[in-house]
Amino acid sequence: MKSYLLYPEKEWVNNTSYFDDKGIIQDLGLRILFMMAARDVIWENDEVKSIGMPDHFIEENFRKIMMVPLTCEDEIVYRQEILKDALAAEGFFREVYELTEKHLREWAELGRRSKEKIGSWDSLSNLIMDIRILRLFVNSLKRIKELFKEYEETISSRGLLALKQRLYQVFSDETEADLTRILQDVSFFVDSYEEDDKEHEMVNRPHIVLECSLDGGMKFQEFKLDELTTKHIKYRDPNSMLGKVQGYMNARTPDSVAIQWGTLLREHTLRIEFEAVHYVMSHTMTFVGRFNTFFDQLHLQSSFYRGAINLSHHMKRFRIAYCFPKVTARDMLRFDDLKEVVMSMEQRIEAVGNTCSMEDIRLLIVTGANQGGKSTFLRSIGIAQVMMQCGLMVTANEYESGIFPAFFTHFTRREDSAMNSGRLDEELGRMNQIVENLGEHSMVLLNESFATTTEKEGSVIAYDIIKALTEAGVKILTVTHLLSFAQRMYDEDRNGSGVEFFSAERLENGKRTFKMIQHAPELTSFGLDLYEEIMQRETYK
Amino acid sequence: MEFKSILDLRQSPYKDEVRPSFYMDFNLYQIIDSIKFHWGDNIASFYTYLPADTECEKYRREIFQDIKKGNLYEELMSFVSVMARCKEAQANQEEVRVAIQKAAWHVSRVALYGDAFTGLYKALQETDITSEGFKTLRDHLADYLEQESFKEMYRQAGELQTEMRKFRFKLFYENDLIVITEAEVPGTYESYLEEHFEKMPEGMKNPFAGSPELNLLEQKLMEIVQQRKPAFFKSLTRFYKNYEQYAKNELLQFTSEITFYLSYYKFMKKMEEYGYRFAAPEVCREKRMYANGLYDLALACVNCTEDKEVVSNDMEYGENEQFFVVTGPNQGGKTTFARSLGQLVYFTKMGLDVPAMAANVHPFSCILTHFSVEESVETGRGKLQEELVRLRPMMSEKCENAFVVINELFTTAANYDAIIMGQKVLQHFIGQRCRGIYVTHLKELADAHEQVVSLRALLDENGIQTHKIARKEAGDEACAINQVNKYRLSYEQLKERLS
Repeated sequence: MKSYLLYPEKEWVNNTSYFDDKGIIQDLGLRILFMMAARDVIWENDEVKSIGMPDHFIEENFRKIMMVPLTCEDEIVYRQEILKDALAAEGFFREVYELTEKHLREWAELGRRSKEKIGSWDSLSNLIMDIRILRLFVNSLKRIKELFKEYEETISSRGLLALKQRLYQVFSDETEADLTRILQDVSFFVDSYEEDDKEHEMVNRPHIVLECSLDGGMKFQEFKLDELTTKHIKYRDPNSMLGKVQGYMNARTPDSVAIQWGTLLREHTLRIEFEAVHYVMSHTMTFVGRFNTFFDQLHLQSSFYRGAINLSHHMKRFRIAYCFPKVTARDMLRFDDLKEVVMSMEQRIEAVGNTCSMEDIRLLIVTGANQGGKSTFLRSIGIAQVMMQCGLMVTANEYESGIFPAFFTHFTRREDSAMNSGRLDEELGRMNQIVENLGEHSMVLLNESFATTTEKEGSVIAYDIIKALTEAGVKILTVTHLLSFAQRMYDEDRNGSGVEFFSAERLENGKRTFKMIQHAPELTSFGLDLYEEIMQRETYK
Repeated sequence: MEFKSILDLRQSPYKDEVRPSFYMDFNLYQIIDSIKFHWGDNIASFYTYLPADTECEKYRREIFQDIKKGNLYEELMSFVSVMARCKEAQANQEEVRVAIQKAAWHVSRVALYGDAFTGLYKALQETDITSEGFKTLRDHLADYLEQESFKEMYRQAGELQTEMRKFRFKLFYENDLIVITEAEVPGTYESYLEEHFEKMPEGMKNPFAGSPELNLLEQKLMEIVQQRKPAFFKSLTRFYKNYEQYAKNELLQFTSEITFYLSYYKFMKKMEEYGYRFAAPEVCREKRMYANGLYDLALACVNCTEDKEVVSNDMEYGENEQFFVVTGPNQGGKTTFARSLGQLVYFTKMGLDVPAMAANVHPFSCILTHFSVEESVETGRGKLQEELVRLRPMMSEKCENAFVVINELFTTAANYDAIIMGQKVLQHFIGQRCRGIYVTHLKELADAHEQVVSLRALLDENGIQTHKIARKEAGDEACAINQVNKYRLSYEQLKERLS
């Protein structure tokens, strides 16, 4: 039995994440998203009442799943559909997530055994555990079926509908009835009393009818099970009057052996009970076996949607609009009012949205003023790309892009700095790693790369690398203040060959809007402006 | 002729002999270990003693050839397995204490014994057997199975078993009470499970399994059964009393001894699956002794699981040739060849097929071997002394017409001495009309006598061991180069390997 909520025909296996996923998380600041995904937002009259405690399981898995890119449009749409269902029927995923968690916890308490050990009923306690485990499975699966019924109206995604269908195949109403009957029949073996019978007036006792023959040495053999049920009978103390009468009657029954408790005979009848129950239970072995990894997968997979629901609440909380991105050709990049969600959540500021529409573009070069929002712009695309590639929503009115499973970030890591020469070496080292790991559809985000050397040298390095990579079909988005590099690219691109230039918008009066616009590269990074601004501020004080 | 033993026409004088030394020298224990794996330790003793004389060898050889005919091998295997069950029944009978259980197991024993020998007789009738051994056994069984006493015993055992098998009891267990009645039940729950679930390979397990003894509950239930069916239990007890001694000794001995042939045949079949060939040897003094495609079966036994090849050789003794002297490079296959020759003679003497494509083997009085061993610390004797001590009995008595295998004698003596001693040893065995093989590094021994043939372990054009042995003049070897070539470490080779 498979969940298939993350992929159309595949369960989750923890592999093939982005190369240097840790670097991507760091460069794009994704940790805040994992943290938000792990916390509930509790609303009261459209106001945030409180934020829940972090669920580390969600946080951990949200990170893992986000860091493994989907590789085709169908996979992305598949998750988007389920996510849309999840947002429409939040309760469904909340319950599935909680139920699977509880299920796994109780299963572990009952001594969950590894796959190969299933069926080694070597002892009494194992058999009792297995009955309890079956009961747990039947109850959990029943509940999931109920949930599907409750949310029948809201669920329309392929993934959930197929899961429902598979569940009904493996756990049909008939199977449910059969397993429920078996659990009822063998209940004497697990529970001496009914749960609600606090006085223990009634006891659960077996009723077993068998046939057997004799082997070559006159021992009984070839046992055939005819009847097996649990009878609820009135408890009688053997030392009481009625108990004694019963004992007397038993002793008088012809062709019979009376069994007193605590005797050797009682042990032999216990063996009969054990083998009969064992035989019946062995038929349920394959059933439980089918769900061996199902609950783990369902728990893990639902945690992703559970996290996405939380994330949507946090977006609402910070008033960030989101959309479901569209997959297009790889030379397209189009978005409307794209916001950098990480910064908005972290610094609680309203982000500036950017809009752009680029076709037939392989290289994007962003130049312009310091503190003008260049890096934020680059990050917002990077975050959107990663979120799209794991099936999540994107914080924009519209977002259209191609899929780049080989996705890299190459940001100057100032905190790594030791000495300048060492830093260039480190940068080139990381670049080398990226080149070694380029894939069929690669996208590289370069943020102020090769700025650790002189502008002249840096420009040459950047030119060579970026030229070679784009010619090899790699999509590159770069923020740079290597102006001679940008100028050289601009001069070569006069005839228009897939390079686009952006820079920070500056109004007539010199004021910056933090918006990015299509613009030829500027020969100054307007550091002077910043200098002026800061100096002025100082003067005002 | 009266049937006595399937192994020996006459009592073999070797029967109680301790393992002859060639057993170790030919690595036979490797073969026997492999056989023991399927048949248990007891089988080994059959392989350690040789038949009394050539007539007895022939007796066995004919029997082994008969086993290959028709279905006789399969029939004998099933005979053996029925008798194994009979033995199990006996073990159970000895274990249980309840009297009616002892009697019941006895019925099983007698019935199985009857089944086994009736089946065996039928198989012998249906096979075109020609061996003396099987023919006398068949006639013996014909008499025995027709005897009224046997027929009556077998019939009674069968009837009692049939009746016992028909018993069906219903156990009704509820409310601390088990009621037993003689009845059949519809098996309602089983049918329900079968209809609603995947069928399980096994039914309900026996809750009383574990010991052949009736447990207390079973005893109580059995008492009730006994009260209800007194007549049956009476005849059961009577049968046990009347037929306590039921088996013929020579037939029980046959049951054990036949496994000697079956175990080798089964082993042979397995080796044939790995591509090794076996041949029934001719034993004819008038023709030249030869073997084609002869190989070391013990080595094959080890190599077959590792998918390593075993080299085979052709060999032939010319009319006046009595001894092979094998020289050649180390690791060249000299000892392996000597072993394979020894095995050829051993398996021929045992009456079994030999590891070769075809062979004619002369009859020999016995097998004598001398393989160098590690210096004995315990005795404190020098190696040369130790070798001579072991050599003395070989050279003293009753070694006329023996097959002699000598491997690296006198290696610690000075060359001059060793050559002279070696020549004396060869001379002695040749004088005793022995045949054999002498592996040595002394090329001078190769032309020690006119009855001696020189064989060499061959190298290929690169100087690498081929493990082939052929007639060739003895000569010096360029050992160092060979070692280098063997490991492909010469300049040119390395260039080639590294290019």
